[in-house]
Amino acid sequence: MAIMAVAALFHARFPIFLRRSVPSPSYPSSVTYYRRTVISDGFSTRLRSIIRYSSSDAGGEGGSGNSDAGGVYDSGTVVSEVQSPNYLKFTDEELMKQCRFETFRVSGPGGQHRNKRDSAVRIKHLPTGIVAQAVEDRSQHKNRASALNRLRTLLAIKVRNKVDLAAYSPPPELLQILPPKSTIRTSSGSQIGPNNAKFVPGMQALLDVISASDGSIADSAKVLGLSTGGLSRLILSHDGLRMAVNSMRADKGMKPLK
Amino acid sequence: MIRIFPSLRFTSLLSAAKPLCSVACSSSPVREPPQRASFAEAKSAPASNSLSITPKSPLFLRTPSHATPLSEVWKWHDWAKDLASSVEVSSSNSEYSLDSAILLRELKWLIEDSIVDDQLVIHKREIANDSESVKLRASLEELYDLWRQRIEKRRPFQYVVGCEHWRDLVLCVEEGVLIPRPETELIVDMVEELVTRDDWFKNGVWADLGTGSGAIAIGVAKVLGGRGRVIATDLSPVAIAVAGNNVQRYSLQGMIEVREGSWFEPLKDVEGKLVGLVSNPPYIPSDDIPGLQAEVGRHEPKLALDGGIDGTDSLIQLCHGASRMLKRGGFFAFETNGEKQSKMIVDYMTSDHQNSFSDLKIVSDFAGIGRFVTGFRL
Repeated sequence: MAIMAVAALFHARFPIFLRRSVPSPSYPSSVTYYRRTVISDGFSTRLRSIIRYSSSDAGGEGGSGNSDAGGVYDSGTVVSEVQSPNYLKFTDEELMKQCRFETFRVSGPGGQHRNKRDSAVRIKHLPTGIVAQAVEDRSQHKNRASALNRLRTLLAIKVRNKVDLAAYSPPPELLQILPPKSTIRTSSGSQIGPNNAKFVPGMQALLDVISASDGSIADSAKVLGLSTGGLSRLILSHDGLRMAVNSMRADKGMKPLK
Repeated sequence: MIRIFPSLRFTSLLSAAKPLCSVACSSSPVREPPQRASFAEAKSAPASNSLSITPKSPLFLRTPSHATPLSEVWKWHDWAKDLASSVEVSSSNSEYSLDSAILLRELKWLIEDSIVDDQLVIHKREIANDSESVKLRASLEELYDLWRQRIEKRRPFQYVVGCEHWRDLVLCVEEGVLIPRPETELIVDMVEELVTRDDWFKNGVWADLGTGSGAIAIGVAKVLGGRGRVIATDLSPVAIAVAGNNVQRYSLQGMIEVREGSWFEPLKDVEGKLVGLVSNPPYIPSDDIPGLQAEVGRHEPKLALDGGIDGTDSLIQLCHGASRMLKRGGFFAFETNGEKQSKMIVDYMTSDHQNSFSDLKIVSDFAGIGRFVTGFRL
């Protein structure tokens, strides 16, 4: 492998040039520039490193349809926090500020010398250490968007918030992913399905409930005003959700849902 | 062996006085003959009585007129996968040899671009009925041929499908036009950063020299957000045709003007009036050309790659022009071969053009290579 992975060392800083008109008697239109350096973890993340590495290092894309589940279980550990901020409520921009792009440097001169379709993006969410990557899209732009979406799914799956079941009041993002049959649904709005980006925050809240119920589907179903079968169907509708519930149940010595 | 592209051979006979409009107006999606024909002898080019160059239609824009039984498509898919998996990595320079994993990804994209119901072919094989048929945008025969060209002739994937995904754009490309590189996306990012901070740059005239497919010009025009103008120049008539077509596909004719000619030559009317100047000129030293990756060296236009003995011939010209063409306070960004060349250019600009520029900077690409030289006209 001729590829050297020089990860995470690329702290390029991009200067922002500000143009300022300086009133001056001799040069009425004179212009001066001064430079400001923006720390790379800030707003200008887009300008910085975008990693690339050989596709063989990136792992297979897996021929299966659900690419969202890709890499979900790479780093294993579930983050458990007493009360972490709800990262899923952050905008893309805010989330990006908490992330570091990791650069894998490909040997060789790059630029016009090279035509290889192996552009990949890998982002690390610093507060949780969760890493998401994307390599399957055709442009850096799309890979970046895919990696960020994947990060959101991973955050939903791995970050658990403590829930007090006795005084539980379900958040709206959870209500909207529940089937209309649920007795706790307040509005008659249509159910948000697993392919919708809005499913992800609801999934996180759902996992919080199941976690607080120690993996019991029957207990969770009661809290959510659903039948056990109804909740099972909801869980099985999303690969990442199903795997997260099953690993939770495995920890408690319970049988997986199928 | 160096391939001479029929289109280039053909266009060299053309009168340089071809009106720009003849290029920009060729909007109708002309259905072209199979790619193979384009590799045939230029002599037989049917369009030789026309003075305009019609850009090729990329696969994804063609009409899905080829109904083909699924079983036949699967047979092709299996064959293509086997061919992709069988490439051997030469141990000497794996960076420049074919890579099965990348080829398999490209095959998926080829299917996306050429088959309307591509999911049926890639993922749903077990549930589909093999007596069904799918609509292809090219005949199966052509798809066999295209994939063979990709692997046996090392034809760049982007020429095979006729497009490149760059930033949030899908740009048509064909032989005779440089395929825009991911590194170059950063030029547009830099411009975006600049114009969001200072409106002065939004309202002025920008120029993209050696525009090729028009990538930078289109990217810049989009970040200017409807104000300002971009003039895109290129020496190659094929590039002019392709760039004009791409500009039109993004409905930016009102903002981008494509002009044919060498570097600053078509820009006499805007001398000293530019607020921004960007370019990805040829910068590879001539001696490096024979050793290039096959996809690049055998297929992409030398005109867009070869930068002379030390690779800086065009860059030096751009430096000269920048001092003449830019307004006071105007910004420039040029792509270079890397650290060494970037330093040469900065040195040149500080010694030979002292008092012309300020804030000269070398900006790194995503691989950490000092790829761009940027600065401002004093």
